[in-house]
Amino acid sequence: MLAYSEVTEFSGQVGDFRAKVHRRARYVDQSKCTACGACAEKCPTRIPNEFNFGLNERKAIYKDYAQGIPSVYTIDPNHCRVLQGKKCGVCAKVCQAKAIDYEQKDYDVELNVSAVIVATGYELFDATQIPEYGYGKLPNVISSLEMERLLSAGGPTSGHLTRPSTIRGEVRLKELPKLIAKAEKDENQDGLVQLKQEQEWLEDHVHRFHLAKKLGFIQCVGSRDFRFHKYCSSYCCMHSIKEAIIAREHESETQSYIFYMDLRTVGKGFEEYKVRGAEVSGLKYIRGRVAEITQDKDLNPVVRYEDTERRTVQSLTLDMVILANACSAPKNTPKVAQLLGVALDENNFLKTHPNRPLDTSVPGIFTCGCAQGPLDIPESVAQASSAAARAAEVVMTGGQALAV
Amino acid sequence: MASNEVLIIGGGIAGMQAALDLGDMGIKVHLVEKNPSIGGKMAQLDKTFPTNDCTI
Repeated sequence: MLAYSEVTEFSGQVGDFRAKVHRRARYVDQSKCTACGACAEKCPTRIPNEFNFGLNERKAIYKDYAQGIPSVYTIDPNHCRVLQGKKCGVCAKVCQAKAIDYEQKDYDVELNVSAVIVATGYELFDATQIPEYGYGKLPNVISSLEMERLLSAGGPTSGHLTRPSTIRGEVRLKELPKLIAKAEKDENQDGLVQLKQEQEWLEDHVHRFHLAKKLGFIQCVGSRDFRFHKYCSSYCCMHSIKEAIIAREHESETQSYIFYMDLRTVGKGFEEYKVRGAEVSGLKYIRGRVAEITQDKDLNPVVRYEDTERRTVQSLTLDMVILANACSAPKNTPKVAQLLGVALDENNFLKTHPNRPLDTSVPGIFTCGCAQGPLDIPESVAQASSAAARAAEVVMTGGQALAV
Repeated sequence: MASNEVLIIGGGIAGMQAALDLGDMGIKVHLVEKNPSIGGKMAQLDKTFPTNDCTI
């Protein structure tokens, strides 16, 4: 397993590919680290945790999640004080296994392989491209993956549906006393008044709004939209229904509304799941496109939509809105494709053979999962086993199987 | 001489499953992942549909 690594050079042909893999330094000796976490506990540097979309903080020495494999900590060289030329060294002092190594260097590995499987996955569609939904501006409008982190017992809120405006408000409330003390010292009267007003407002807001109980899910954000992706991202209908069902399991008073164009619940047991969502978890499915999301003075998102079944335009005030972001090809896919010499389709997913759906344009290079187009987990797993079988054919026959 | 190893680029659910299957066949696999941990998007998910099983 070569984690924290990237393929940088690639050449050859089926049965005899050569690849250079660049292995980035973790500044932690993988053979010694026991992943006890003492280093992260004592590390003085706090930065937004990208694994949880900045909903909490991590340290400069970190592990994305507790069960992460390989079970080893990594130092972020952009934020570590020592690697930025300052004084610190706390992690090296507390590490009983003596695993910290600030001198560790990146290095390259040369590989000779018979076949390649490209499973580079997808990226979430950037919803800031749809300004009318206010993503990035309205604090309580979040992406489907941010919702996952909020629902997760191992996430930033331990599974409570705390509104992001409350999470950020609590962080800001901790900072404010220091800023107020500074303003008092500097005799900055205008600043002081402003800060005190902000503190008062936030204390009231955090006190009155805690858990999100009235949720809106907006489907097809960036998919089936001619401005962005024409295709259907396939898994988002089920994904939103699942998040709404789990939210209800966490808090029985939760009421969810799902705004959809069509609910595409195609798959084994999927339609039944949708029906169960309505019957058992009280989900309300509303057929219609949301035109705009604004917010009221309490930072509650207000959704304006056309109910196409009732033929009326309506507004609904919610606690939190979750966008079903489209499944986009990762931004660096063209670079990866150029490196490997494989063709892409019009949506920047890997182009596949019409009769052999996991074969790319290069013999001996296969693909599976969302690298070739949007898929849910069961389909990705099925494709992965299939791609493994195709790769095994090449290995067993030295590439002869592909000559047909 | 032709190699009998396979390179998998991407350590998400698809890459991991392909690596496990090839490993079970006795084929040596190099699984390359750009992030510090494997798991990909799936590791960020809480539960999966339609059974609400835990992902990790």
